Amino acid sequence: NRMKRARARHKPCALKELEVSVSELGLGYESDETVLFRYCSGTCDTAVRNYDLSLKSVRSKRRIRKEKVRARPCCRPLSYDDDVSFLDAYNRYYTVNELSAKECGCV
Amino acid sequence: LAAPPSPPGQDPQGWRAPVDCVRANELCAAEPSCSSRYRTLRQCLAGRDRNTMLANKECQAALEVLQESPLYDCRCKRGMKKELQCLQIYWSIHLGLTEGEEFYEASPYEPVTSRLSDIFRLASIFSGMDPATNSKSNHCLDAAKACNLNDNCKRLRSGYISTCSKEISATEHCSRRKCHKALRQFFDRVPSEYTYRLLFCSCKDQACAERRRQTIVPSCSYEDKHKPNCLELRNVCRADHLCRSRLADFHANCQASFQSLTSCPADNYQACLGSYAGLIGFDMTPNYVDASTTSITISPWCSCKGSGNLEEECEKFLRDFTENPCLRNAIQAFGNGTDVNLTP
Repeated sequence: NRMKRARARHKPCALKELEVSVSELGLGYESDETVLFRYCSGTCDTAVRNYDLSLKSVRSKRRIRKEKVRARPCCRPLSYDDDVSFLDAYNRYYTVNELSAKECGCV
Repeated sequence: LAAPPSPPGQDPQGWRAPVDCVRANELCAAEPSCSSRYRTLRQCLAGRDRNTMLANKECQAALEVLQESPLYDCRCKRGMKKELQCLQIYWSIHLGLTEGEEFYEASPYEPVTSRLSDIFRLASIFSGMDPATNSKSNHCLDAAKACNLNDNCKRLRSGYISTCSKEISATEHCSRRKCHKALRQFFDRVPSEYTYRLLFCSCKDQACAERRRQTIVPSCSYEDKHKPNCLELRNVCRADHLCRSRLADFHANCQASFQSLTSCPADNYQACLGSYAGLIGFDMTPNYVDASTTSITISPWCSCKGSGNLEEECEKFLRDFTENPCLRNAIQAFGNGTDVNLTP
């Protein structure tokens, strides 16, 4: 079972979806309307490039010290879904863009 | 499509397959006598003066011949390809046939054969949504959820909402023309399982009823600074082939009848709701007048003030929206998830 959980946590980067209320998005809107929130989740182990290996090595040799660098690819949206509109608790309409992922990838 | 051996108008049994007017026009064009008469009629109507047209012998002769052609009883389908072209052909014949301005006009659309129960069946397959289980259920909110979870519905809903709530300038608070167009796209391209749920959800409290009223973004698509006279608005609508057709369709399918159990023509709720939704995004756009939960009142944005001697006609026109038992029963039946049981 632990193996199963471990494997689940190490799924490759992919699009996942969740039904959430607009209020839960934390963008400051008050609305009970439910929207489909698509996000990117998973690992990018197979997407490691020579760049990542080299950067890690150079950093470990303390050739890069003060800068913030990231030596592993990251699972992020490559493109975003269309706008989402909703009616809030005060009967005003709002439209939010780039709320939900459309396509994911290791970048 | 291969051309049939003989045009439908000349079928030996006198039986005509129902053809749409675009197709009928093609059949007419293939026949020299028909096409020349049709060209004549179009020239007659181009003057836009009916009386001159009717007085002209040549125009009358053309009209008589065309009544035997497939163009005469052709119909159009809502949302079909080339819908406007189809309706233009339809009215080019029918405008010449009617005796003056009629109160009710025949619908250029094919009769609706589906029923509300078909939608309910589809809706339960599509969504598998939680029915009215919790006590504080808001059907209009559920309808918004169902739409948001469907990519096509969500995209076109966001499309009209953002268009209709986009401010243009300090003086112009939205583009009504663009808003109407986006609304028409929504109601034409999204299946009625979704659109009817948003438009005709049943409500127990005011928040729900207000959400229902807000469905079409009335501040842009419905309300206006000036409230015109209803007959004036009808004339504006009749000047446009699409609006005229949708209004005729509404009258054909939602006209209260005292002969049927439901007050609707042929007891068909679906046909009435469909032609109601078909009016949204035109000059005759109807909406709920308030957020009342107990009584449903629908009206276009007009009144009978300033009707003069046509007061009675105006009231009669307006009552088909405000006090129409067929429309009201159809909306309530949809909200309750019921349809009339027809004995076959």
